[in-house]
Amino acid sequence: MESSMQNSNPTILNAADLPTRLRPSSCKAGTYGGGILASALPSLADPTNFSLSESEESDEDVDLMEEPIDEQEIFDLVSTISDPEHPISLGALAVVSLPDISIKPTLPDVPSSLLRTVSVLITPTITHCSLATVIGLGVRVRLEQSLPPRFRVDVRIKEGTHSTADEVNKQLADKERVAAALENGTLMGVIAKMLETCQ
Amino acid sequence: MAAVDHPASSLPHLQLLSDLTPPSLERTWLTAPHPRLPIVATCSSDKTVRVYSLTNFRLLSTISGGHKRSVRTAAWKPHVQGESVLATGSFDATAGIWRRWDSYGQTTGDEGWGLGQEITTKSKSQQEQAQETDILRQQQAADNDNDGGADDEDEEWRFAVLLDGHDSEVKSVSWSPSGMLLATCSRDKSIWIWEDLDDGDNNFETVAVMQEHEGDVKCVAWHPVEECLASASYDDTIRIWREDLDDWGQVACLRGHEGTVWFVDWESVENAPVCSEETLLAQWKGDLKRELSGPRIVSCSDDRTVRVWRRQPKEQAATGGTGMPSILRPTGLDETWEEETVLPKVHDLAVYAVAWSKRTGLLASVGADGRIVIYEERLVVVDDASAGESQPMDTDPPAAAAKGAVRPEWAVLAVLPGAHGIYEINHVAWAKRADRGRDVSREEEVLVTTADDGSVKVWTVKR
Repeated sequence: MESSMQNSNPTILNAADLPTRLRPSSCKAGTYGGGILASALPSLADPTNFSLSESEESDEDVDLMEEPIDEQEIFDLVSTISDPEHPISLGALAVVSLPDISIKPTLPDVPSSLLRTVSVLITPTITHCSLATVIGLGVRVRLEQSLPPRFRVDVRIKEGTHSTADEVNKQLADKERVAAALENGTLMGVIAKMLETCQ
Repeated sequence: MAAVDHPASSLPHLQLLSDLTPPSLERTWLTAPHPRLPIVATCSSDKTVRVYSLTNFRLLSTISGGHKRSVRTAAWKPHVQGESVLATGSFDATAGIWRRWDSYGQTTGDEGWGLGQEITTKSKSQQEQAQETDILRQQQAADNDNDGGADDEDEEWRFAVLLDGHDSEVKSVSWSPSGMLLATCSRDKSIWIWEDLDDGDNNFETVAVMQEHEGDVKCVAWHPVEECLASASYDDTIRIWREDLDDWGQVACLRGHEGTVWFVDWESVENAPVCSEETLLAQWKGDLKRELSGPRIVSCSDDRTVRVWRRQPKEQAATGGTGMPSILRPTGLDETWEEETVLPKVHDLAVYAVAWSKRTGLLASVGADGRIVIYEERLVVVDDASAGESQPMDTDPPAAAAKGAVRPEWAVLAVLPGAHGIYEINHVAWAKRADRGRDVSREEEVLVTTADDGSVKVWTVKR
C-alpha cells in the first residue's frame, strides 16, 4: 500500500487543535510525546467513556428528553479512526470534522419516534481517492458498532470533494452491500486496522 | 400520518397474531412461506435458516452447515409431493438445495410435520386436509414435549447440492411456476437460470447467464404461470426476461425508479379490484386491452416509492398502436411495459419489500422506516367532473373517460408504524392462516414480516 500511496503528503492538523471531549486533564498524551501523531494513539480514546454512555442510552431511551449522544460524541467516535494509507487519524487529516456531523430525527413527521439519523460528511484528502469507500465504510462500521440500534447511520462524501461521490454514496447507503462487506475477511482486516486506534 | 393502529378502531388495521419463537439473535432477511404446508423458512445472518410453524408459531428446525456466510434468501420449490425442497442463497456466492421428506419424524412421533405415504394417492384436497390434521396433531405432541426432538433435527434436512457459479453474494432465488427452473441473482450483476433435472441425483444444469444489468441484481421473481422472469437492480431498473428458441434474453427494461429497486412481485392472473357492484366489475372485466396485457408487476425502491407496471397488449404493440414506428422493435419478443401508477406515498425511507397477495389482491410494503403499509385497489366510476382532479391512473386521454367509465384506484387501507419497534423491516410475505384462532369456514390470510433484530411477526388484516 505504501508504494502506491494516493496522497503521500496530506495536510495534517495538530491533534491538540481538534475539538474533543476525550481529553481529560490526566490525559496520557504527554507520555507519548503528543504532537501530530498523538491523536492516532490508542490511549487518547478512553473506551470506558463510550461503554458508559451506551449503557445509559439503552436504559433510558424511553425518556425522550434525554439525548446524551451529541455531535461532539460522534466526532470523538470517528475522529480517532486511522486513515488506511497514513498512520494518521481522520480527525487530524480533516476527513471528518465537527461541523460536518449532524443528528436529526429520522422520521420528522412522527414526533414520538425514537429514531435518530447520524449524518457524517466525509472530505477525502484528494478528489479522486479510491479509498473513499473504505474510509466511509470504516466510519459506518465504527458508528454502527458503538451506537444503540435506534440510531441510523448516514455516511456520505461531502458535496464537491470527490469525483465519484454519487457512486460511493450509493454504495455506503446500501445496507445489503454494507452487511456483505462486514463478512468479507480482507476488507474487514483493513477496517479493523483503521479502528485499532479507536480504543 | 394517520396511524391506524388502534385495536378499538373500526377502521381496517393490522393485528399482531404472534411472534415466531424463538427468534434468530441476528438480522433476518426474508421469510418464505411454504406453498403447501403451514410452515415458513426464515433466512438469517447467522448462516442458518429457521423453519417455523404457522400453526403454533414455534421453531420446528434449523437448517445449518451449508453456507459460510449470511443466508440472504430462500424459496420453496412448488409442486413437489411427499417432500419439501428449499433453495437458499447466501453471501458466500452459492445457492443451496435442501430436501426433507414430509414423512420425516412420523414414526418417532416427534415434532415433524410429516405426511404418511398412504395418502399420496388421495385427491389433492383430501391430502391437504389430512396433512393439516397430521401437522396439528404432531405439533400438539411437540407442545407437550417442550423442545423435544431439537437434538436430532440435524438429520431431517438433507443437503442436496450447492450451485456454484456466481462471483459474489447471491441476493435472491426464485422457482419458475412449474418448479423446473431456478433463477438466482447476485452482486456480480448476473442472473443465472438453472434447470432442475429431477433425475434423483440432484443434478442442475445451467440454462442461461444474463448479464445486461449494470449493477447488483437485488431480486428475481417469476411470472405466476409463464416462463417469464422479472428482475430488480441496483442500476435502478427492472428487466423482463424470456426464452426465444433456446436463448434467454431481455425483452424489456423498465425505467422510472430513482434509486435501487429492492424487490419485485407479480399480480395473480385472475386478480380484480375490489368492487361491490357487479355491473361495474363486469365492465372492468370486459376491457379486452387490460385482459391482453396480463399480470402486472409491483416494485419498490430506495426512492421510497411503490410502483405498479403494466405490459402493453402485444397486438397493440405489433400494429404500432402507440404511434411508435415498429422499426424500434426488432424482434417479436420485445415487450413494452409502462408505469401504471405510483402508489400513495407513505414510506419515509427506502422500501425494501412488497408483496402482492395472490388470494386477496392486497398489496403490502415494508422498509427502513419500520412501517407496514397495506394498499387496496378499488374500482371507481370516473365521471367528467372528477376526471380532471383525481390522480391519473391510465394513459387514456381524458376524452376517453366518458361518464360511467370505470378505473381502478389504489388506496391505503392501513398503516402500522414501528411494527418491529425501532428496527428496519426487510421483508413481507402473505401466507395462508393456519393457527387455531382462524375462521375455518373461509380461507384467511396472514402477513409475515421479517426484521433487522431477528424478529419475525405474523399479522392479520382486521376489517
